[in-house]
Amino acid sequence: MQLLIHPADELPIYRQIMRQITEAIAVGRLKAGEKLPSHRDLSEQLVIAPLTVKKAYDELELLGFLETQRGRGTFVCASLPQPDAVRQMEEVRDTARKLLAQAYLAGLRYADLLQILEQADRALSAPAKEEEKV
Amino acid sequence: MTPVLDFRAIERCFQRNVPVLNGVTFAMQEGEVAGLLGRNGAGKTTLIRIAMGMLFPHGGSVRVFGASPTEDPVAIKRRIGYVAEDQVLPPGSRIAELIALHRYLFPRWDGALERQLLDRFALQPTARIKHLSKGQARQVALLCAVCHRPELLLLDEPAGGLDPAARREFLETSIQLLNREGTAILFSSHHMNDVERLGGRVILLDEGKVRLDEDLDRLREGVCVAMVPRASAPDAAALERVPGCLRVRPVFDDWHAVFRGDPDAVQQSIKDTLGVNGIRCAHVPLEELFIEMVGGNRGEPV
Repeated sequence: MQLLIHPADELPIYRQIMRQITEAIAVGRLKAGEKLPSHRDLSEQLVIAPLTVKKAYDELELLGFLETQRGRGTFVCASLPQPDAVRQMEEVRDTARKLLAQAYLAGLRYADLLQILEQADRALSAPAKEEEKV
Repeated sequence: MTPVLDFRAIERCFQRNVPVLNGVTFAMQEGEVAGLLGRNGAGKTTLIRIAMGMLFPHGGSVRVFGASPTEDPVAIKRRIGYVAEDQVLPPGSRIAELIALHRYLFPRWDGALERQLLDRFALQPTARIKHLSKGQARQVALLCAVCHRPELLLLDEPAGGLDPAARREFLETSIQLLNREGTAILFSSHHMNDVERLGGRVILLDEGKVRLDEDLDRLREGVCVAMVPRASAPDAAALERVPGCLRVRPVFDDWHAVFRGDPDAVQQSIKDTLGVNGIRCAHVPLEELFIEMVGGNRGEPV
């Protein structure tokens, strides 16, 4: 796998790895089922901390691009997520940050915000429950 | 779990009433990597020497593997590796003699690692230390510091004065050690790219105290720099009152302020507090962040 790391880039190194792997998958340079180098090998190849590689792989696994098979290694998933799953995740994160900032500015505490989220969740799922009754 | 290294409220002066370290507290766990940053004179070398038992703290306490580094120095030094920029190796001895001495001092010496590093650094065992280049001498020092497979590696500006290729080899060796042995590493460096590569935690010393102590990626993504027109805030204090502000300094026609938070949220929060427009907020690489956190004022005096 050919990756290029720039420590002084605006993006932290683990994000650079994530972006380059998803790009490689998108253009077909990395194929479904293909095996990725181990944390240790990639860390020594790129001369970066092994934890940084692990973090990039873990995030990509959460997003559904990679899967780890115990004792065998990390592979590109057979069925890949929708092309814009990464962006959607990013947008949710972004919104979460804005929401937190707004809440803190309004003088709310984290616990208050959690309560609001729970209420919102109940409101969202309420109509569904009514349908079940019918 | 006992930390491998534990500094508690460390104080140290070299001149009366001029503290170099004035209450430095942090601990490191097994296998952890931390970059120790700070300007020249911030006390990085002093702190590392205190961990090595080469200096006594004037206040506070230091524990290495749960013990004082000066109480049982032999037992503790067997588990530590140390390389410093100004380290002096005996000029007249040959590389092989120096290695033989270390092998004798350290029962856990790893001969295979020794041969591997001699080979990688292309060092001639028969060469005398005084005939080596600065880079080669540092490589010998690193070899002597890591071949007993230490649990804690203390590197004091290890790449200072080395060319980029030698610096990279040094980094490669540190990362290999991290991978194979799970060694905890505390390293001081002015090379922010190296700090980004080694990753882990960043500890910034300033005015004798720990100014920042945070995971590198969290720092990169959780902190931003705001540029605010000088005229829109009467003084630095006005910006410092905005929530999340870590530091403000004047740079020509702007204030540069470091904030904790997302750039958009910070921009909004400054706008709301000061009622001004024309603010720019962005994440920045570690080097810029370092300069914004500890750099001096620029432009005309405030």
